[in-house]
Amino acid sequence: MNPLAALFALLIFPGGLSLLAAGLVYEWVDRKLLAGLHNRVGPRWFQPLADALKLLVKEEVVPEGVNQALFIGLPLVALAGALSAAVYVPLAGLAPVHSFPGDLIVVLYLLSLLTLGMGLAGTNTLDRFSLIGATRTLTQVFSYEAPFLMALLGAAVVAGSLSVSEICAYAGEHWLILTQPLGFVVALIGLMGKLEMPPFDAPEAHTEIVAGALTEYSGRGLAFFHLGRSVELVVGLTLVAAVYLGGLSSPVWFAVKTLALLLVMVGLQALLARLRIDQTVGLWWRYGALLVLVQWLVLILIQRS
Amino acid sequence: MTDNTAQGFTVPIGPQHPALKEPGHFQFTVDGEIVTRAYVRLGYAHRGIEKAAEARSWTQNLYLLERVCGICSHIHALAYSLAVEQLAGVEAPPRAQAIRVLVAELERIHSHFLWMGVSAHEAGFDTLFMYSWRDRETVMDLLEGLTGNRVNYSANLLGGVKFDLQAAQADSIRRGLDFLEQRTRHYLDVVSNDAMFLQRTRGIGVMTRAQAEVMGAVGPTARASNVGRDLRVEAPYAAYRDFPVRMALDERGDLEARFEVRIRELFESFRLIRQILDDLPPGELGVRLPRRIPAGEAVVRLEAPRGEVYYFVKSNGGDRPERLKVRTPTICNLTSVVRLAVGHQLADVPMILAGIDPCFSCNDRLVQLYQEETGEGRSMSWKDLRQYGIDFYARRQA
Amino acid sequence: MNTEEILNLASEVVRAWDWTSQVERPRPGQLDVYISSLAELVPVVVGLRVKRLGYLAAIVGLDLGPAVDALEVLYHFCPGDALIALRVRLPRRDAVLPSLCEVIPSAEVFERELAEMFGIQITGLHTPERLYLPDDWPDGVYPLRKDFDPGLLNTREGEPRS
Repeated sequence: MNPLAALFALLIFPGGLSLLAAGLVYEWVDRKLLAGLHNRVGPRWFQPLADALKLLVKEEVVPEGVNQALFIGLPLVALAGALSAAVYVPLAGLAPVHSFPGDLIVVLYLLSLLTLGMGLAGTNTLDRFSLIGATRTLTQVFSYEAPFLMALLGAAVVAGSLSVSEICAYAGEHWLILTQPLGFVVALIGLMGKLEMPPFDAPEAHTEIVAGALTEYSGRGLAFFHLGRSVELVVGLTLVAAVYLGGLSSPVWFAVKTLALLLVMVGLQALLARLRIDQTVGLWWRYGALLVLVQWLVLILIQRS
Repeated sequence: MTDNTAQGFTVPIGPQHPALKEPGHFQFTVDGEIVTRAYVRLGYAHRGIEKAAEARSWTQNLYLLERVCGICSHIHALAYSLAVEQLAGVEAPPRAQAIRVLVAELERIHSHFLWMGVSAHEAGFDTLFMYSWRDRETVMDLLEGLTGNRVNYSANLLGGVKFDLQAAQADSIRRGLDFLEQRTRHYLDVVSNDAMFLQRTRGIGVMTRAQAEVMGAVGPTARASNVGRDLRVEAPYAAYRDFPVRMALDERGDLEARFEVRIRELFESFRLIRQILDDLPPGELGVRLPRRIPAGEAVVRLEAPRGEVYYFVKSNGGDRPERLKVRTPTICNLTSVVRLAVGHQLADVPMILAGIDPCFSCNDRLVQLYQEETGEGRSMSWKDLRQYGIDFYARRQA
Repeated sequence: MNTEEILNLASEVVRAWDWTSQVERPRPGQLDVYISSLAELVPVVVGLRVKRLGYLAAIVGLDLGPAVDALEVLYHFCPGDALIALRVRLPRRDAVLPSLCEVIPSAEVFERELAEMFGIQITGLHTPERLYLPDDWPDGVYPLRKDFDPGLLNTREGEPRS
């Protein structure tokens, strides 16, 4: 790959700007559909962009008693993590920009950077809402991360590779949602947990702890965290759609499949009440992990025979 | 914020907090996620109404007291009217009493729908919140059609009511009730069967019958703990003597029971309103009251949507009350909620708080903004106010 | 138990001991108990509670004005539709009342209100802090007394009330 093409791929398409734009569009779809189910009007199409721009031009207030470098650096790390994860997934139905054996694991860790960044940002401040939010964020990471990872590894096992592009190629011929339905459910709900969508929004439950870990953030830092979340929404949807919904071969299929997944997620958000943090952990370890283990057992039995 | 190390980790909730739609201040000391100590401070919405009432005539007070609470405004005006009528030794005619009860029951429907939305929101169940508030618009429209106002209906006069009920209005109320009853049936199904929602309500904030009695809980909060305290049944007032109601009781005492009791009360309200519309007694809408009310004391207790409202009015024979005391249901239930929160998860606290349907502006009535009500306060132009703000902070910085 | 029986029981509770407190029936459904000595207040309340005669609906403070030079405190108990009113007279200066918190926990809010609005000192209160009035409210000013000067409220924000 020549340097110019790599730069283009990183900054303009499919990464960088177009990924940010896609993030905002998906965020709008999420909010608009949820509003529809709530019987509300919902935001206009440019609202997420307007929100992001407004936050970006606002003064950033750095509270007393924080480590300045961390306070400013963490949002950047979080956004960068989400953006770099995009390099390894088949965005817009195109082949991943970069690929090497084992990049599935890298993607999953890059996607976790956002949550980790939020947790650290919360513990960095002295505010008690932030501290409780951060505790909840990090507690939640430990509950959904393992089942989510194991679900995706189930796909890697049948594809015989830990590379996202090879798994996608394999998934293009086999619809894994049919052969591994349990893994799919856990991966999709795990994605909701990663994105802290209802019912997994205890870390930012505003009726209890205002804005959770991000309570002290304003202006640029908050904008970066929000953008990172939007980007992660797109990347996560792409990953789950590529692995379980028969690969992503063209931009049209990409849009159809990811939006279908988003629709399911919106429906779940509207249907379910928020779980308490202890209930979230209980749900993941009692049911999530168990479902994945059952999936693994079936896989092993089939592979043996 | 208080010191973290001395008292454990204290989470302040309020006076400005997203969980509270009104100002109150709570401090919860937590150990991890478990609440170990709770403290309450009120007074942020103090308006000095009890003192202000002593400076106003009997008629003016009717309008002042309607503004004690924005949600259950009618019941305050009604309690005051009944107290003054009791002092003057007159009774409003039956038709007026029936219309008073009609508005009171519509207000109860309005209040319970509002409460259901708020507490669903505290549980992070925004879908129920949005839908119940949409349906609340129906009953607000009905009230507007009947009285001309969506809130602060101003239906009462001393000695009667202000308006009559037309046949067309009765029909629109019946239609509205049909819609609301069908929706309410759906909500009862949701709150008693939705597994995720039950996780947040079942067995949470349990108040036993003995606790409810000792702490003096009132209204639906008490009835959910099987304490049969409903003044519409125990001590019927206005037209409740002619149109009796059945009490909704539950013995579980948790949040789920508080949801169910309130929703079952809605059905009773629908039935009662239909019955009043069918059998509205004919006659006058009011009687005349003297300008000076004979000396004496009157105590009136009414069943507001949130529980018992208590009014004490003392007259010295003049043209204004000597003393007026308002006790709203929230103050009775607040003591219980502060005790109930201890031992629960922090995540359950907003739900437990919302479970009693707290109303802080009802609670906080006295003194602070008295000067504005008597017109003695300073008036400031926008420019002055802005400059004042700038000066204030400049002074503080220096 | 109907209203009549409740009120008869209540008056027996008061009369049962050799107390000086007087009982009166101003109108049907209401019983007034004039507590003559503060020492008898808590025992009467305990007696009413033991017989399960209603819950404490409210405690009302009254300022009878400088001319009479007395405060009156009404404890209203409401069993069913009946009303039992305990009436206590206090001097305007150095008014002291025993707290009912030990018997009735919910009395605390009413007593805190009495303390800050009427300047009645309540002994035995668990949290004697202010409930309604602002933190910078001057000591010794009781807004619900008849001789309260509302001009006091005309202070600018941020300045101390004098």
